[in-house]
Amino acid sequence: MLSAIYFFTVGFIVLNAIIGMVTYVTLLERKFAARMQSRIGPYRVGPHGLLQPIADALKLMMKEDIVPRLADRHVYNLAPIVFLVPCMLIFATLPFAPGLGVADLNIGILFFLAVSAMEIVGLFMGGWGSNNKYALLSVMRAVNQIISYDLPFIFAAMVPVLLAGSLKLSDIAAAQPDVLHWFIFYPVIGQLAFIAYIVAMLAAENRVPFDILEAESELIAGFRVEYSGMKFALIQLGEYAHVIATSFLGALLFLGAWGGPGPAWLGPLWFLLKAMCVFLLVTWIRWSFVRIRVDQILAISWKLLLPATLILLMATAVVAAWPRGAPVV
Amino acid sequence: MSRRLGESFWGDLGDLLGAVRRAMGVTLVNFIRKPVTLHYPEVKRVYPDRFRGVLALTYDKETGEENCIGCRLCEYICPPQVIKVEMLKAEKRNFAKVFTLELYACEFCELCVQVCPTDAIIMMKSFDMSTSDRRELLLDKDRLHQIGLQFEPSWATGNLLRDMQTPPKAPKAAAAEPAAKAAGPGPKPGGAAE
Repeated sequence: MLSAIYFFTVGFIVLNAIIGMVTYVTLLERKFAARMQSRIGPYRVGPHGLLQPIADALKLMMKEDIVPRLADRHVYNLAPIVFLVPCMLIFATLPFAPGLGVADLNIGILFFLAVSAMEIVGLFMGGWGSNNKYALLSVMRAVNQIISYDLPFIFAAMVPVLLAGSLKLSDIAAAQPDVLHWFIFYPVIGQLAFIAYIVAMLAAENRVPFDILEAESELIAGFRVEYSGMKFALIQLGEYAHVIATSFLGALLFLGAWGGPGPAWLGPLWFLLKAMCVFLLVTWIRWSFVRIRVDQILAISWKLLLPATLILLMATAVVAAWPRGAPVV
Repeated sequence: MSRRLGESFWGDLGDLLGAVRRAMGVTLVNFIRKPVTLHYPEVKRVYPDRFRGVLALTYDKETGEENCIGCRLCEYICPPQVIKVEMLKAEKRNFAKVFTLELYACEFCELCVQVCPTDAIIMMKSFDMSTSDRRELLLDKDRLHQIGLQFEPSWATGNLLRDMQTPPKAPKAAAAEPAAKAAGPGPKPGGAAE
């Protein structure tokens, strides 16, 4: 009973923290993007636009909720929730500091990867239920792309797992006690795995340059085209939560999670900072590149990224299993 | 580039990495640079001297009289015909009895400023006349005088503009001296000796 109360409380806190963080990450991205285009970005609502996310959320809440007449109502209404739940659920296994997390599972990373791949169900429900040709085309592309990129993504994420020798996220973090032992600084393997992780992450999150499922010039807003008001907000929230969760995972796998100078209670802040660095890297890429074609996306996945990560994974396995003589950084 | 796409794997990879570096470099440079945006109502950009903004009527600096003599030259030259003037005959000089300007149809061509013989109509360094009611942009004489006092005037006036366009008065005397100076250090060594 007590443990149930504990889990509920921690879960509640984490969930609300995520929602608050995700709303403010949109502001961060908008500010960052604006600077990359020599603009200032949101400025008027609150000092330096700090209240802009709240204004956006209020606006979305007050918008009319439109359901298309020919939509499959049940699927259409359920889709944002089915989409949002996995995106929120993946935060459950993330430890934010030693012992601070909702559920530090033994197979934490497996849970993370499995649940994060489930968002495609909500996505497809939304596109199908909208009964809109653009939405349907969009989710068809999304399914195509996410299935193609889940494999390289998992392979890239498995490299730190092999190096640390554990599927438990807190163990992986504990295997990188200081900067020199961060897995991104592991010679050759670490850097290649990080690049593969970022590329596969971009594709799995449908971010530019892999954003064919919401290619504005072809598909308007993709699978979200028929959504409005709070349902639209839920989908946006889910997308950003997914990106943030994957950034956190990237920071944990490659950048040493909560390790950093200062007392131990600064750990979560270091973790947040590193995750934001990964997020800003993704945003930087987003505002630097143009969208690539469907066939190019699939070619990159199946012809380049998948064999490359597979070879990388095998090389890592050899290095990790090398008796005694494993290179120590 | 002589190599075609798909011929060489490592060549393509090199091209890709170069493209990535260049693309991300552009955005990074922009990120470091100061934003070009100005917070408009609080901070105003410095307008150039020949800015063509809102039209206004002026007063004479010394006597304080209206400069406009109601000659209707601006009315005749105005391409969209937004100026209407009626002359008021008086003893010493004439005045404009009515002067209306439909700013909503004005095309800011500056022709009225160019023809004005008394520098009465000029342009201001301002464009923020936005309003929710179109009728407020039908400017009468009083409003035009008020705008003239409200904003900073542009450089151009009728007399200055005409001076710029008139051919040089005495081409012999005025043009010979600078020409000789310009030719001095030039290829003709004998020219400067005179």
